[in-house]
Amino acid sequence: MKIGRLDAEIAGARLVLAGRIDDSAGALGDLVNHLPVGDVVIETAGVTFVNSVGMREWMRVTRALRERGKVTFEAVADVLITQMNLIPEFKGAEVASFHAQYVCPSCGNEATPLLDVSVHGPELRAMRAPKLPCPECGSAMDLGDFPERYLSLFRA
Amino acid sequence: MQPSSAPRGKIVVAHPERKAQRSLQRLVGATLCPVEVVDNLDALLNLVDDQTIAIVDAGLAGTRPNLRDTGARAWIAVPGEGLAPAEGPTIEALLTGGWTHVVAHPMPILAEELIATVQKVIRGDVFGLEKYIAWGAEVRSYTLEDARDRDAAVTALAKDVVSVGLPDRVGSLVSVIADELIANALYAAPLDEAGKRFRSGEARDRPRALAGREVVTVRWATDARYLAIEVRDRWGSLDPTGIGARLAAGGKQANASTEGGMGLPLAYACCNQFVIGTAPEVLTEVITLLDVRYKPTELGRSASFHSFVGSFGEPR
Repeated sequence: MKIGRLDAEIAGARLVLAGRIDDSAGALGDLVNHLPVGDVVIETAGVTFVNSVGMREWMRVTRALRERGKVTFEAVADVLITQMNLIPEFKGAEVASFHAQYVCPSCGNEATPLLDVSVHGPELRAMRAPKLPCPECGSAMDLGDFPERYLSLFRA
Repeated sequence: MQPSSAPRGKIVVAHPERKAQRSLQRLVGATLCPVEVVDNLDALLNLVDDQTIAIVDAGLAGTRPNLRDTGARAWIAVPGEGLAPAEGPTIEALLTGGWTHVVAHPMPILAEELIATVQKVIRGDVFGLEKYIAWGAEVRSYTLEDARDRDAAVTALAKDVVSVGLPDRVGSLVSVIADELIANALYAAPLDEAGKRFRSGEARDRPRALAGREVVTVRWATDARYLAIEVRDRWGSLDPTGIGARLAAGGKQANASTEGGMGLPLAYACCNQFVIGTAPEVLTEVITLLDVRYKPTELGRSASFHSFVGSFGEPR
């Protein structure tokens, strides 16, 4: 299914989004009618851009889905997780995993690895990003931004 | 060479730390404006008049919310203890309190930002990204011919940025910033005679030729210190007094049931310096600066903010 410049695939209670959540995503809310009532999983690793109009549509659709059951966010794209951290209503959202900007202090490589919340939950709730191995040189990479930009919604 | 004919007034620095006082005195002394240094607000207020540029430690500034009620040419808050970055809550409180010049970052950005800010105030020359970028850096410009050119301009800009060797992370931030600033210029800036923002509800995919006051220009440049993005509209309708509080509120004001309001706060959240220049009813210019030298965590968590009001001649 195409919504503006966003590709949406639905398989049972699982929604996979890829592309841009922007001014063209006005029909994003229609997805609610294509998903079963109850718990759903939304994967957004392929989302490449979110602007303020798109964020408003994202809030609308997730709010509607949360009224019908639990919404679990999987592999949340870097561009989306940073914006979700700006919005108070996402605090405590069920995020299973997300991509974050990491920088290697040894070789300067930048990457957006996937962080599994079930593995790193205690650190994330303490607003600490785990160190992860650099895919280029193997050194320990650090989060490339302030923890608040990625981890506020996990804050205990 | 003749010195500038603009009245220069004086600069007063108020900071409790002697080392910071020395640094700030040297910095703003570079403007050749007379500089006086004090360590408390009472002494500062004894010196301030309407030709004074007052530079105040952000921590001190926060202790007296009505400080800016005293007329001055400009009030500028600078980072506090040890010239470390200003804390996010301090910046938020100052913006909410109506401060129009808040520097968030430590040296050397502090020096670059403060001198540019003070000189803009002294000279009354407040427009143009060139004031932030080293001489020699090429400035690239796009003029939108139709409202639907926004995506093409944003895509071209992001592509250019990555092609000069800046990381994808910066390209991603640039896309969001440029998109929001252009959208603001296209849909929020236009005012009718009754003061209504008559484009705000317009469909974003609707074609609209941009001519006369509808023209929107985008310029960018990088000197490997900063990446500067400048967006101009010809309406001069952005209220410079309330915008700081809106930026400070950020996503807290987000509500899926209301339209508008999140674009500029989102652009602010993505940059390191957010600079507004307004010539009322003539031109609004928003410049965002991304520092490309340092890791984000080595800078202030919140962006600096500056709002200038000036006059503007013929738009470029």
